[in-house]
Amino acid sequence: MGPNLFANYGEAVSAILFCIGFTNLLLQTNLIKKIIGLNIMDSAIYLFLAEKGYIAGRVAPIVVNGITSTEAYINPIPSGLVLTGIVVSVSVTALMLSLTIRLYLRYHSLDLDEISTQLKKEGK
Amino acid sequence: MPFICNFPFFSILLSLFSGTVCSMLPAKAAKVVNRAVILAVGLMSAVLLLYLLSTGESFVYWMGHFPAPWGNEIRAGVLEAGMALFFCIIMYLSMAGGAHKLPGEVVESKHNLYYILVNLLLCSLLALVYTNDMFTAYVFVEINTISACGLIMIRQVGRTIEAAVRYMIMSLLGSGLLLFGLCIMYDLTGHLLMSNIKESVGLLIATGEYQIPLIVSVALMCIGLCIKSALFPFHAWLPDAYGYSTVSSAAILSSLVSKGYIFLLIKIIYRVIGFDIFNSTRIIDVLFIFGLMGMIFGSLSAIKENDIRRMIAFSSVAQIGYIYMGFGMGTQAGMVASIFHILSHAATKSLLFVAAIGLTDVSGGSRKFADLTGAAYRNKWAGAAFTVGSLSMVGIPLFSGFISKLLFAQAAVQVEGKMLASLIVLGISTVLNAVYFMKTVIRIYTAAPDAPYTGITFRNMKAYAVVLVCFMVLNVILGVSSQPIVDIIAQGLAMFA
Amino acid sequence: MYLILSSIFFPIIAGVFLLIRYRTPLSGENRNADRKTLLLLTGSFLVITAALVAAALLTAKEGFTLFYLTKNLPIFFQIDNIGTLFSLLAVIVLPCAGFFSFEYMKHEEREGRYYGFYLLVFGILNALCFAGNLITFYLFFELLTLSSMPLVLHNGSKEAVMAGLKYLFYSLCGAYAALFGIYFLYRNCDSLTFTTEGALRASAIAGQGGFLMVVAFIMLLGFGVKAGMFPMHAWLPTAHPVAPAPASAVLSAVIVKAGVLAIIRVLGMFGTDFLRGTWVQNTWLCLTLITVFMGSLLAYREPVLKKRLAYSTVSQLSYILFGLAVMQETALTGALLHVLAHGFVKAALFLCAGAIIYRTEKTRVEEMRGIGKEMPFTMWCFTIASLGLIGIPPTGGFLSKWYLALGSLKSGISVFDVLGPVILLVSALLTAGYLLPLTIHGFFPGADYDYKSLQKEEPCKLMTIPILVLTILSVLIGLFPDIIIHLIHMAVVG
Repeated sequence: MGPNLFANYGEAVSAILFCIGFTNLLLQTNLIKKIIGLNIMDSAIYLFLAEKGYIAGRVAPIVVNGITSTEAYINPIPSGLVLTGIVVSVSVTALMLSLTIRLYLRYHSLDLDEISTQLKKEGK
Repeated sequence: MPFICNFPFFSILLSLFSGTVCSMLPAKAAKVVNRAVILAVGLMSAVLLLYLLSTGESFVYWMGHFPAPWGNEIRAGVLEAGMALFFCIIMYLSMAGGAHKLPGEVVESKHNLYYILVNLLLCSLLALVYTNDMFTAYVFVEINTISACGLIMIRQVGRTIEAAVRYMIMSLLGSGLLLFGLCIMYDLTGHLLMSNIKESVGLLIATGEYQIPLIVSVALMCIGLCIKSALFPFHAWLPDAYGYSTVSSAAILSSLVSKGYIFLLIKIIYRVIGFDIFNSTRIIDVLFIFGLMGMIFGSLSAIKENDIRRMIAFSSVAQIGYIYMGFGMGTQAGMVASIFHILSHAATKSLLFVAAIGLTDVSGGSRKFADLTGAAYRNKWAGAAFTVGSLSMVGIPLFSGFISKLLFAQAAVQVEGKMLASLIVLGISTVLNAVYFMKTVIRIYTAAPDAPYTGITFRNMKAYAVVLVCFMVLNVILGVSSQPIVDIIAQGLAMFA
Repeated sequence: MYLILSSIFFPIIAGVFLLIRYRTPLSGENRNADRKTLLLLTGSFLVITAALVAAALLTAKEGFTLFYLTKNLPIFFQIDNIGTLFSLLAVIVLPCAGFFSFEYMKHEEREGRYYGFYLLVFGILNALCFAGNLITFYLFFELLTLSSMPLVLHNGSKEAVMAGLKYLFYSLCGAYAALFGIYFLYRNCDSLTFTTEGALRASAIAGQGGFLMVVAFIMLLGFGVKAGMFPMHAWLPTAHPVAPAPASAVLSAVIVKAGVLAIIRVLGMFGTDFLRGTWVQNTWLCLTLITVFMGSLLAYREPVLKKRLAYSTVSQLSYILFGLAVMQETALTGALLHVLAHGFVKAALFLCAGAIIYRTEKTRVEEMRGIGKEMPFTMWCFTIASLGLIGIPPTGGFLSKWYLALGSLKSGISVFDVLGPVILLVSALLTAGYLLPLTIHGFFPGADYDYKSLQKEEPCKLMTIPILVLTILSVLIGLFPDIIIHLIHMAVVG
């Protein structure tokens, strides 16, 4: 286990980051902190993907100096996935932020539990 | 390849683009486009279903011209086409059933936005149903989440925004886990297409390598989808989201959105991991136990509820428990029962939501049980429809709920270890369902001579009444002539493998 | 085929029609005219249904499948001898109680709803009698619960609603327990079509006989809920007092018999050979005897007349169940005979109680002193019916109890063969103890009774004639039992 963990330290780090992000998203009551957690979580996955796609000693799959051999480049698919993932996570983050703003304007609070209690008081 | 094979792709694209078009149209036109698209997609799915039944084989459709391990693929079998058809029917009926309430619930200027969201939702559901590519599935899971979130919060009340936030958070947790599991799977197998992954997984299992990461990946994907489909104990967001959004939203969310995720899970089980490999893991036991707990605790929460729509929402938790219990049995029969229950629950739950709004409308808009006394006399169609839905939920013969219970029980009897637990919990849950649904039915049929509300006649709600009748007929059809449907499901599952 | 179908679906459709046509309470100037049409309609529906059932019983001999619920579960109808027997009971009691209601329900609002559900119950009862397999039976068993519940909670008071709910939950729990068993029967039988010889596969009996016995016991308990078997009898005394008297009559005389019919069918499916001499039989015998004794005792202590009659139903139904549990031909004959005897008697008694409540609004037994002077005709019928329930010759009750006791003695089960008749006898004494005081105090109110304030309270013919018919029938069974016993013999021997 030990040597494996050390050899794959990139994956290990991303897994730890994922857990940090996940816990933040789940347990923080502050909405902004939740969103930060979300971003940490997503980034951890991208780190994981990038780590998986990287092959030591090769370069990004962009043809600049005429080398067309596949041996020279890293695996492009994970990079593509990361790009797609980033698009998704940006849009989700935007949506979350806009929701947060709406809630803040209504209840002047970023604390989800506090908002819930206010809602219960309204009784609707 | 005949022209019909383009239909899955057409239906996804059609709903996607009509969404974009709707943003430029006035509300009235957007509504027409929305209805037309749902109808068109439904029609295409029906034709596709007939075609597939006649050929008896599924087909794979390349998106663009890249062949298998690189390109993106769509796959259509009997089950997919049937599911798409069913989703369209429910969505059309839910939209039509809630149409008369929309002006009161959503600001006039935002109506076309509403239709965009519905179209997007339809698009993502179809994509989830048809896709053969894991990453595409993930992207459409997110699109589904976003449009569902939009459907919840389009009714601008404090509660709905809060519910939307909670829904978003839980969904994001779920999709994060799904994505992580998917990446590990990609890492292990080097593929994103379901059929290719399955081959590699088979090899991995055969050689005995990487067992733990494989299980971890499967577990992560399962948990992710369980969270998204509101399996107990991940259901905290559900009552508010279903209880306070617009009628159509609630009906669609409860009957379709969660089912889309469940269907994806079924695809993962069959087409990515392989049914037998999945069943040899401990994951099914976990699903089984949480399913059983959901069945009981969902109903218990529903009994305590004093708000009719939240009650129906809590009952969804119980019904989703049924579905996961079927997964947890780990047999073909259990799976068939679960898929039938997806249909049955979708038909019943949207009926209940649509009928409930008719009842609350004639009770001064209040959802408290005390005010609903005698509501069935003030709105007879809604009362009748609610009764049919309730009877189906309780599992009275002739209605769809009975058949799904029968199928579950028949499946349970074949699984030695889980037989007693499933049957006993099925019994408890039946009785609990009866407690709160029959209580409501009796309440709405108890005469309240001094109630200050006026009734509504058939003349003022023709469209609404027609929708209710369609729902009731659907329920009875599922309950009476279930055999062909069960056959189709079994055939579709056979095609999956 | 069409006769069976129409005898089931005509009343159901007619009931639904009444429910829709009279969905609002009758009121306003046209109330009387409207009411007349309603009664005319209901009356003709009842008569037509009865005629259809009679025609179906006489002509239709072949079973047929209506449609398939799932591949191996057909909805199948067939008329056999046991079904005929139960159907006879329903077809006589329901129209009688129905005509009685015309007067009894006069002042109620929402009469239309009552008659609508009444007809629904009629149709579903016919379907239960004609059901040819277990799943069909179960389907209509559930529907019976649902459609009879509105009769119980008719007056809509909180008490009535709670009683209706209690009835519903007891029945649903019972029905689920029964369904639980059906799953296993389905798995271990070749088909669910009713037989009298047992349908279990020999391999299943050999392989998991012990477990199947548990299943059989659960099914007996489950259907026993409907038949008011201890310890699930509590819904009966709650539901009866709040329901309108004719509804109680139907409930007590016919609907609870559906549970008995169910148990007969289940016994047939498992086969008496499979269960004879096992712990299932012993426990069941024990439960029935407890119920017989306890029901009578509770009835004896109960001051409210309708509740007293309800407890009496609990006790008398277990006479029937006892006869079934003995699993012996003579006892079975007695049990089936008691189904008819008790049905007619109990319907007559409840209708009498209804007539008393309707005319004098007296519900408690001690208020009814001198009632025989006010309503002599009703009380005479009540007395004759009581004698039938106690089992004094020449009434039907005597004959059925005679057969029960004889069968029990012949059965050769240790302890129970003697204990059974003894408890039946004690219970019969208790029955006399709780029914005869009404007659005695009714006709002989004592010296301090104020004869001057006496008024004639005899109800009108619409009420008395159904009571008379039922009373006469209860005696006729005892006088001319040959036809019935012949029918029962056919049913028992097959």
